[in-house]
Amino acid sequence: MTVQTASAADPAPLAGSTSGARRQVGRLWPLAPGLLLIGLLFLVPMGFMLVFSFLRTDPNFNIVVDPNLNNYARFINIPTYVRTFAKTLVMAGVVTTLGLALAMPFAYFLVRYVSRRWQRIILLAVVVPFWTSYLLRVYAWQAILGEHGALNQALQGIGLIDKPSALFIYNDVGVAIVLTYLYFPFAALALYAALEKFDFAQFNAAQDLGARPDQAFRHILLPQIRAGIITACIFVFIPILGEFLTPALVGGAQGSLIANLIVNFFRGAQYAEGSALAIVIAIFVTAVLIVFRRYLRVEDVVARG
Amino acid sequence: MSSPVARRIDPVEMMPVDRHARRTRRLLRLLAALILVFLYLPIGFLILFSFETSSTPGLPITGLTLKWYEAMLKDRIIQQALFNSVIVAGVVAVVASLVGTMTAFPLVRARLRFADAARLLFTMPIMIPGVLLGIGLLLVFRRVLDVNLSLVTVIAGHLVFTTPFVVLIVSARLQGFDRRLEWAAADLGASSVHTLRHIILPLISPAIVAGALLSVTLSIDEFVITYFTVGAQPTLPLYIYTSIKLGVTPEVNAVATVILVGTLAAFAVGSLLLSGGRRLRRREAE
Repeated sequence: MTVQTASAADPAPLAGSTSGARRQVGRLWPLAPGLLLIGLLFLVPMGFMLVFSFLRTDPNFNIVVDPNLNNYARFINIPTYVRTFAKTLVMAGVVTTLGLALAMPFAYFLVRYVSRRWQRIILLAVVVPFWTSYLLRVYAWQAILGEHGALNQALQGIGLIDKPSALFIYNDVGVAIVLTYLYFPFAALALYAALEKFDFAQFNAAQDLGARPDQAFRHILLPQIRAGIITACIFVFIPILGEFLTPALVGGAQGSLIANLIVNFFRGAQYAEGSALAIVIAIFVTAVLIVFRRYLRVEDVVARG
Repeated sequence: MSSPVARRIDPVEMMPVDRHARRTRRLLRLLAALILVFLYLPIGFLILFSFETSSTPGLPITGLTLKWYEAMLKDRIIQQALFNSVIVAGVVAVVASLVGTMTAFPLVRARLRFADAARLLFTMPIMIPGVLLGIGLLLVFRRVLDVNLSLVTVIAGHLVFTTPFVVLIVSARLQGFDRRLEWAAADLGASSVHTLRHIILPLISPAIVAGALLSVTLSIDEFVITYFTVGAQPTLPLYIYTSIKLGVTPEVNAVATVILVGTLAAFAVGSLLLSGGRRLRRREAE
């Protein structure tokens, strides 16, 4: 599915004509259930979250209507929150870089060196794990990265280390490995969709006309796959801002990310305080989506069989 | 799709012949193979440990057994959790594909003045981290509406992100739809209901079915949103989470393997439908 949804925007109808307006209503009513559903189950909750973020929780865990900005002030004043937020951004940045560094040669290989039939098969193989249990895939990494896990056994087996190392689990390294594993397929699909559309004859033509490979890359290839790169970045970066399971299962005490703090507030029934943190993330994500909405090709990633 | 010219060139024909390029190709192939291993490693271990004799899974394997599968089949809690998951997924798939398909039509065809905003609105729930959707709903259910969490709240939570997936898939299909077919039907005297029933729906049905199957897959597997919206009746992922927290037995690995095979089956059917439809369309185009 490579048709871009956003590009189909027809010109807006002329305003003012009543028959046009009636026809418009006639064509628009099927939107109602969808808008109702998204409105009630998405916009309303987000709205309440915003409202709650200005309130506070009393010692009996009741919400007190006492509009203030303390929840946000606390976020800025308490170093743990700032540090965890910064760490989450760094983690998301590192994993996005890793994911793209792996996905780029992978997608390039598929498009350039593999027959169409095998491209489909390999892509399917990439997609399949990410439609299988997220929870269990994260959990399975414990068996690989743990002190008695497969990685340690293998390293000991080849004599690289002589006793099990705790280097891979219950720290940021483990979290980064698992997150890269989780979000690589998104990056691969987005980049593949972009490279597949690129006509590599142009690349060769540029070089025939005297461009160095890096110039051809920068001026011919890059502009044409920019949307794919941005889509890949968004699909890896954003989910990490909400990751709490991976840090919980393989991150240990020091591996917490911002979402773990949010979850802890809600589990502790401190809804107002948690809401403020959640709103910070939500605003960040929304801003990214609005800024890049013209480049984002969700269907390249999710609507591919 | 690539340009018609590029599509006709088989990539294999473009394979490089000089030594330098051949080495590049070999390196890339090695990298691709390693990546696939990386992707399947955890799944492999999961399946392996479901047959492991010892109740503390680890390497090396002590022996192979089917006893965890037997235990799983006898476990009432697992059966109840599975039942809950199936109920939720069933309702979610029906509602999501119905509402999602309806939404896709005006989104693609009506000349919406706020088309961009509307599309963004239906993309947001897919892109926003599930943890935010989950706590937002928890907040409304517990602190605003004061309802008890149950499978109904779980279903609500799953609809938030499955419906947009259906919208996306059906929209993509509608965009590639040749509207001349509809106009021809209208010229030949078909009413709009008739056209919808006999021309449009049959042509986009693969996308709707794929959307429904995707909804089932996503719903059966959903953990994050469910974690916040679930009441006393756990779904399967919630049961698994609890087992993991309590110290896992290979029984959970057996459950996982069964879910994996089930999801794969649903996924295979779904993608066959989608690619079958695509092939059909391509044939029409030629």
